[in-house]
Amino acid sequence: MSDRKIILEFNDKVVRQFLLATILWGIVGMLVGVLVAAQLNFWQLNFGREWLSFGRLRPLHTNAVIFAFVGNMMFAGIYYSTQRLVKARLASDFLSALHFWGWQAIIVAAAITLPLGLTRGKEYAELIWPINIAVAFIWVVFAVNFFWTLARRREPALYVAIWFYIATIITVAMLYIVNHLSLPTSLTHSYPVFGGVQDALVQWWYGHNAVAFFLTTPILGIMYYFLPKAAERPVYSYRLSVIHFWSLVFVYIWAGPHHLLNTALPDWLQTLGMTFSLMLWAPSWGGMLNGLLTLRGAWHKLRTDPVLKFYAAGVTFYGMVTFEGPLLSIRSVNALAHYTDWIIGHVHAGALGWNGFMAAGMIYWLLPRLWNRPLHSVALANLHFWIGTVGILLYVAAMWTSGITQGLMLNATAEHGTVLAYPNFLDTLNTIRPLMLMRVIGGGLYLTGFLLLAWNVWQTVRGAQPVNGTVEVFADDGAASSESGATRLGELATFFNPPVIFSILGISFACAWMFGGDAIGMAGLVGLMLCVILAYAHFESRGKAWAGWYERLLVNTAPFTVLTFIAVAVGGLIQIVPAALSHRAANLEDRRQIPYTPLELAGRDLYLREGCYTCHTQMIRTLVPDVLRYGDYSRLGESIYDFPFQWGSKRNGPDLARIGGKYPHVWHLRHLEDPRSVAVGSNMPAYAAMLAHDTDVAALPAKLAVQRTLGVPYPNWTPGQIASRVAEQSKAIAADLRTAGAYVAPEKEIVALIAYLQSLGKFEKVGAADKAPAADK
Amino acid sequence: MKPTPPPEDPIRPHVFDGIQEYDKRLPNWWLNTLYATIIFWVGYWAYYEWFHIGESGTQTVAAEMARIEAERLSAVKLDDASLWQMSRNAAFVAAGKAVYDANCAACHLPSLRGKAESPVAIGNNLTDTVWVHGGRPVEIHDLIGKGVLAKGMPTWGPVLGAKKISEVTAFILSHHREGEPIVAAPAP
Repeated sequence: MSDRKIILEFNDKVVRQFLLATILWGIVGMLVGVLVAAQLNFWQLNFGREWLSFGRLRPLHTNAVIFAFVGNMMFAGIYYSTQRLVKARLASDFLSALHFWGWQAIIVAAAITLPLGLTRGKEYAELIWPINIAVAFIWVVFAVNFFWTLARRREPALYVAIWFYIATIITVAMLYIVNHLSLPTSLTHSYPVFGGVQDALVQWWYGHNAVAFFLTTPILGIMYYFLPKAAERPVYSYRLSVIHFWSLVFVYIWAGPHHLLNTALPDWLQTLGMTFSLMLWAPSWGGMLNGLLTLRGAWHKLRTDPVLKFYAAGVTFYGMVTFEGPLLSIRSVNALAHYTDWIIGHVHAGALGWNGFMAAGMIYWLLPRLWNRPLHSVALANLHFWIGTVGILLYVAAMWTSGITQGLMLNATAEHGTVLAYPNFLDTLNTIRPLMLMRVIGGGLYLTGFLLLAWNVWQTVRGAQPVNGTVEVFADDGAASSESGATRLGELATFFNPPVIFSILGISFACAWMFGGDAIGMAGLVGLMLCVILAYAHFESRGKAWAGWYERLLVNTAPFTVLTFIAVAVGGLIQIVPAALSHRAANLEDRRQIPYTPLELAGRDLYLREGCYTCHTQMIRTLVPDVLRYGDYSRLGESIYDFPFQWGSKRNGPDLARIGGKYPHVWHLRHLEDPRSVAVGSNMPAYAAMLAHDTDVAALPAKLAVQRTLGVPYPNWTPGQIASRVAEQSKAIAADLRTAGAYVAPEKEIVALIAYLQSLGKFEKVGAADKAPAADK
Repeated sequence: MKPTPPPEDPIRPHVFDGIQEYDKRLPNWWLNTLYATIIFWVGYWAYYEWFHIGESGTQTVAAEMARIEAERLSAVKLDDASLWQMSRNAAFVAAGKAVYDANCAACHLPSLRGKAESPVAIGNNLTDTVWVHGGRPVEIHDLIGKGVLAKGMPTWGPVLGAKKISEVTAFILSHHREGEPIVAAPAP
């Protein structure tokens, strides 16, 4: 080894690009957010344009904020910090550029397709299948670039930030791919391969862990780099990093079913979802503690330094949100809060407080270092902080009050609990309107603060000279040497060591206890207790061996990655695989959905296109107020042919699971054409355009063929047969409308949508004699 | 004079891009929170999923909806149809069973089979299709209220009150099917 030293220049160009993209897409995402929030109060704000209606823009808002704003911020932070933490330039300039431009192309494609109504109809997974493939491809580019850089590192040990980056990359890949498995029916349309309860489970396994591994773990990694750098203080506790990292990545995955509490989801999954959410509290707070306590000795800097202000507030919001999350996962609290604005407040405390403020802190800290010029105005950055904070507090307080108010009103009963106190949903909606307006003001303030940041950045960057960071390293102190020789961890040493063995044994015993019968269950519980005691005793006496093994693991990327993957994969395997593999009949309860007619299916795709699921659930929970308001609670079998499932997550309007047959066709026609003509005070957008457009009957043969492949019992109709069935049913509806005094041509979209709405809640009884019908195999 | 600063904790030897790490103990309250939530998981799972002591959501809602239906039925005018409906309501039937066991089982026996089960029983069999005083739900209901003093059937109306009589009628009807034949029989 020579001791000739060279100066290594980092690839900070791609960091600058991602940083500027963060600001651009942040503004777009928040602007759309303010618009859709305002539309909830003033339905006229879609200006009568289909592509501006709430149902299409809300997915644009969520996707823009998550994948465009936080995504770009995450890539900037990861690329900047990783190069410095491993003392290596990003492995490939080409891959870095491909990653940046590919990601922006995806965002642009999303921003065009979502307003056009091209969607998969699953929350935060709306993008159509060609874009899904592009996302997966670019994510692989990111992964290759990242792990290749790690392989060329000059710093043998992996710092805690890198652990979180590794967990992010592998877990998001796993979640994204599984939840986006689809069968295309055309270039722009597909059906997911999972339906009904299986789709619900997969969706919330993905949705919940997108929050975990897209909005949380990468930002924790960024916190572990940028916060101690800015505070110039050592990280509070290494061992807390170890414990909270592993407990967080392991427990997070199990908590997904807390999005489906009190629904038709089997009870054991609901119990797992709730209890693991509670267990997530301490691991999450471990991250908050390590952030806040690192600031010890640096608190006085908060007075002058906007960067630390943003970090301190961001981490505090993280702590608040990760306490609120477990609280909301308690079944009885969830019965009140679910589907209301409380959940919206919860996610925005996270998105605005944690993600947004960590992004702002990082941007203000990076600017002088990337452009070699001091921040244009510290005062403006401080103003941004205060405007943003007031904005978040207004927003969150409004949503708490609104959610609890509406939840209490919806659940309130009178006359010995036999009737609803507020039978009209609109009464509850119109009560919270002032609070929804307050939310718009809070969000608007937050956006204003962010615009100040954009202005500050522009003033700083304009005419400045970009500068790339450098580090002095030994010339041939190359990559390969870092993972060779005595420190290498073979397969045996990766798995056969006390921490891993005790973890695997403990999890196995716990599963035996939970899922075994009486005898196996008892043995599992005894085994679990023994395992805990043994592990504790072993750790007390041989703790140095545990620590020593972990130090060795930290210089071995591949074993570290494999163990992380196993930790995150376990929860999904145990929760999803039984439901996905079991025979459909096991998921029926006593009812089976009647498959949609071709016209109803076309109508259902219109329901998805317009994003109706962003405001309407199709899931009557096992709760008395739900049953009193919407009818008998939903059974699993009533959505088995729903690809994708439409249980929903928010009730800006009433549940629709049993809307079919409740009103005449003409009521639906009037309501869709002008909601306020039959529902005074409604905030629903008008869908008058659907009276003008024709239903896309030509697409139906391909759609039905895919549904058949997925197991929906459609006969092998020819396109002609399908067209004649559509014509027959639509003419009957049009005729019925005509007798009620409304003239609509049968081929119009509105007829298909009415057909779909009238089919909701139709099922056939599945008796004991009729256990395994042929249609269901 | 400046106060002496407390001794610094040990710092890990490794430095990453200038970032150092302490290795402080985990706070006890934090560890205890973690342990408490794990123990809660064990207890909660055992309560609901292992021993099935806790009611499931569907059980709770079924019981509560039955109670609500019972409350609503109490308010409606009594006729054959509403009495049959009551007999299919779990909450109503359960309440009727309690009334029956306390007041009627002495003569008609807990099995409702009365003389058909035991020759020493005073009351008639209430489970067959043979009715001495009329077998339509309203007739049964009215008979319980008025009684047949000559045969030893007391007048329960003032004793039990309207609600309990409806309940006990529903309980008796729950041993029958709507539409089954009614065979009139002379008093023995």
